Formats: sequence, C-alpha cells, structure tokens
Amino acid sequence: MIEAVDLYKSYRRFQAVRGVSFTVAPGEVYGLLGPNGAGKTTTLRMLATLIKPSAGTVRVAGFEVGRQSLEVRRNLGIVNGGMRVYEKLTGLEVLEFFGSFYDLWGSKLKARIAWAAELLQMDQGLLKKQVREMSTGMQQKIVIARAILHQPQVLLLDEATAGLDVFARRALLDFVQRYARLGKTLVYSTHVMSEAEEVCHRVGFLDKGMLVYQGSLAEALKLGSGSLERAFIRRLEQTMAS
Amino acid sequence: MNEILIIARKELLSVVRERRFLFSTLVLPILLMPLLMFGPFLLLGSTARKTQEDVQKVAVVGIPPSLVEELRKARLDPIEQPDPVQAVAERQVEAALVYAQGRYTVYGRLSGGATQSALVVEKVRAVLQAYKERQVAERLQAQGIDPGLLEPFQIETRDASRPQERAAGLLAFLIPYFLVMFIQSGGMPVAVDATAGEKEKGTLEALLAAPVPLYQIVLGKGLAVLVMSLLSTLASLVGLLLGGGVVRARFAEPLAAFTRGDRPLELGGSLALEPLGYLAIALTALLFALLVIALMLSLGLYARSYKEAQSYISPLLLLMLLPILLLQFADFFRPQDWYFLLPLFNAVLALDAIVKGAATPVQLALTWASTLVHAGLAIWLAYRSFQREEVVFRN
Repeated sequence: MIEAVDLYKSYRRFQAVRGVSFTVAPGEVYGLLGPNGAGKTTTLRMLATLIKPSAGTVRVAGFEVGRQSLEVRRNLGIVNGGMRVYEKLTGLEVLEFFGSFYDLWGSKLKARIAWAAELLQMDQGLLKKQVREMSTGMQQKIVIARAILHQPQVLLLDEATAGLDVFARRALLDFVQRYARLGKTLVYSTHVMSEAEEVCHRVGFLDKGMLVYQGSLAEALKLGSGSLERAFIRRLEQTMAS
Repeated sequence: MNEILIIARKELLSVVRERRFLFSTLVLPILLMPLLMFGPFLLLGSTARKTQEDVQKVAVVGIPPSLVEELRKARLDPIEQPDPVQAVAERQVEAALVYAQGRYTVYGRLSGGATQSALVVEKVRAVLQAYKERQVAERLQAQGIDPGLLEPFQIETRDASRPQERAAGLLAFLIPYFLVMFIQSGGMPVAVDATAGEKEKGTLEALLAAPVPLYQIVLGKGLAVLVMSLLSTLASLVGLLLGGGVVRARFAEPLAAFTRGDRPLELGGSLALEPLGYLAIALTALLFALLVIALMLSLGLYARSYKEAQSYISPLLLLMLLPILLLQFADFFRPQDWYFLLPLFNAVLALDAIVKGAATPVQLALTWASTLVHAGLAIWLAYRSFQREEVVFRN
C-alpha cells in the first residue's frame, strides 16, 4: 500500500507540491486528478524514489522512500505518458533487460512475459521485432509490461494513455481494472476525467500542488451531480472562493 | 557487478544495431587513416617525380645561350616572353627567369603551399646553382686558383635522436593525436546516446526506477563508452600501422622524394619499444579514456537533447587538442615534472615521451597518479550528475 504524509516539493521559490497526504490500499485504484502542471507527475516521481521530497514522508509497500529506495523500487512499477523503451532493442530484449534487475531469467522470465502478454492482450510474436518497428500502442504495451514484469505490489500510472489510439487505450483501461483485482495498489494520474470515472475507486483533486479534495468515486460524482469533471471544477471554485 | 555488465551490454547492443555508427566508428578509421595520413605525401611525391621527369615551359628574358642550353638539359623548355611575370601569373608558364643588372630573378606562383610552379622554381634554381658553381670554378681555374679553396671543409647533418624516436617517425606525433582524437570521437556517440539520448527518447526514467544503485548505472554506461572508445582507437591505429606498411611497400618510389635528414622519411613509422613501453602507452590511454568518458557522461547528462550534448562535448575535443598543438613546440621547452600533473596535457606529454623513449619513471608516475585522481573526480561528478534531479529531469 501507499502512505504519503504531508509531502512537499520545492524548486527554489516554486512549490510544486504542497502538503499532499493520501493513502491507497491494496486492490484499490486511486485517481490523482488535475490539470497539467498541478503536481501529479512530481508527486508520483516522489513515490517512485526518482526525486526527493523537500518535506514529508512516504511509505510504499511498507518501505520508506528515501531510506529504503531500492526496496521501494523492487516493489513498485511506474509508467508515464512520456516514457519509452529502447527502440533499437527487440521487445523481448527490453523485457529481458528489465527482468534481469528483478532476478527474472530463463523459464521464470518466460512465464512472466506470457503472464504480462495475457494481461495486456499483447501478441507475443511481435516481441521479436525491434521496438522502433512497432505501433505506438504496442510500444506502450512494452512500456507497461516492463513495469509489471516483476508483479509489483504498487503500480503508478501517469497519463499512461497519452498518445494511444482507441484500441490501445481500451486495452490499458481494461488492464488497470484487471491488475487491481489481483490485489495490487494503483495510482492512476490523469487529466482525463472520463478515464478516472471508469477505473478509479477513490480520487484526489490536485491543483497548484495542493490536494483540494479526496473521497470515493461515488462521493466525488455526487459532488459533481454525476460528473467528475463538474465535481473537479466546483471543488476548485470553492477552494478559490475560500 | 552483474547489473553493470547488463547495462553495458544493453548500451553496446543499441550501438551494434546502428550500422551507420558502427561503420563510422570502427570501419571508417581503418579505411580513412591511411588515406588521410599518407594520401597527401603520395600525391606530393608523385607530383614531384612527375615534375622532374616532364618538360615544363619557362619564360626567359635576357639569359645567355649557355644557360638556355643548361635549362634544356634539365628538362625545361625556355621560351622568350615579353612579359614573363604576367605569363607566370596567367599560368602560361610554370616559372620565369629574368636576368638584369647582374641579377637572376626566378618568378613562380608561390602562394598556397606546395604548387607545381614552386616545384619548377626549385628545378630552375638547381640549374642556376650548378651554372653558377661551374662559372666560379672556371674563373678560379683561369686565375690558377684551386676551386677546392672555396670549400675548406664539409658540412654534414645527422640525426642524433634516440633510436625509438628515430624509428617512430611520424608516429611520435600521431600516436598522442590519434589516441586523444579517437578516444573522444569513438566514445562520444555512445556517451551522448546513453545520457542526453536517453533523456530525449524518454527511456532514462524507466531505468532510474529500476532497483539498481545509481553508481552501477553510471559504471555500466561508462563501461560501454570505454569499450567503444578503445575499439575505435584500436581501429584507427590498425589503419595507421597497416596502411603505413602497405603504402611503404607499394609506393616506395613517390615516397623516395621525401627525406628526413640523411635518410628517407619513414611514413607511419614503426614503434621500437620494450614491452613495458607498450604497457605504459596502454595504461596512459586507459586512464585518459576514463577521465574523458566521465566528463562526456556528465556533460551528456546535463544536456537536454542529443544536439545540445554534442555542442557541449565538441569543445572538449578542441580543449584536448591544445596540448597536441603545444607538442609541436615541445623541442623549445624542457618539460618540467609538474607539467605531468596537469590533466589532459599530462597524458599527451607522457604518450609523446613514451613513444620517443624519453619518459622518466617520475613523469609516468605523476601522469598516472594525476590522471587516476582526476578520472576518479570526473566519475564522481558523473555520479553526482545522475543524483541531481534538476539535471536528470532537465528536459
């Protein structure tokens, strides 16, 4: 699970994240929603040990970010919209490369690739191709397969559907729901509210680095009279007024 | 350790898949080196020989018939021209010879280095010199004086440099130059691809999120760059040595036109070092490569894109070529031991001294210790760059 407490991140005078706290339980998909520049990516990078919080604490899968970075990374996978994999390598070589960091070799690796391929509805035959010869959708599936190959307890998805066509996007949203059903902890960060409505159990609205609202999906929909987008705008207006 | 090798293997695999890069790093140096190094000499040698064998027109004004005859014997075609200088300038003739008021003036097109006209001017001057000496001898004999009186002693110049230096020939200059150039140029594409390239393509974040300590990522990438740097350097040296052998064997005649002191110029040269000398070269090059590679990784990671990284790293090559340029004047200063503490400069100086057989144990020890310390600092700097999020996510 994830426990983020009073997270701050500053870049000189600019505060990208201001006092963000939330928890995500196993089997739950937490939607971190907000416009571009709200601080979603920064928050997820802190969870993934890629950047250090200026203040606050985070525990991921029982390990403390900062002090136990390697343990956190062993139990976590991250995918973001801008993430790519090595284009001159074949899909199989990419998965072998990342699998080797989690002691996945030989038959164990083969089994995990088959598992990921089934979960992502990915044609294993295409893995023999170099990544640069693959479609964008297939490339994104490799990016995700790389992140879940070690079956991480925690999976962070940041604008993961960016640039995907309708089929690849559908496959990804289906995957998110399937992965959560395995008892995994997911954070789904997006600015596309309709996606969050489909896959998230709980949501948090992030604006200018602050978490201005969090609650269950049902509560958020109620706030927005059935629309997550309306709920988000209303909440932001309330915050600005106060 | 395993992760370092896995990362290095991945970087090298990406390089191997890029045929264009493989060709320019490993194949081109082998093919190009002989051409670049020996091509100009072969061309010049061939031109010089042809100039000696062929007959060239020379505009003449006011010269005696006896000299005209001498010019003809030397395979020159003297023709009277009203304006010899203009004839030379307009390329109607290769040279001109004018006699006026007791002075012979030779005209040629002498701007722009080794020209055909310059070679013909030398041919004319040689005829004039012989003509003059013969006239002096005849006049002295007419006065009953022995012409030998004008030459009371002989002057001879001989090369007294060390046997290794003499054998090395051009290599004494070329080896430091090639090592510096190819260590950087061979490693640069891999260093840039492994840093700025990964940032630009969006692959770095996934690697940094893997459970691999940062130092192993830095060392893995550094190892891949080192392998390509050394392979590229080796390819260029193989090209140089093999090319030198082939050129010497097949083009002996045009090369005979070039002499160095009292013997023919050894194009490409040949190293005459003890095994320890070769080891010293390898160790110096390896330490130098570590320093350069770590600098390239730091600069590459700081850059936002492939192009930006190239613009940061290219000046590094110019900086490294400075010591090479200074080497040209090495004879005018006596290297002090402290020179061998200066990063980059010391390696070039040490390589030059090793090839010439002039390196002292103190100089080598200072070079290796200093380069090792500076390489260590540069590797630490690269590691720190990978730790700095404002550098890693600067895109």
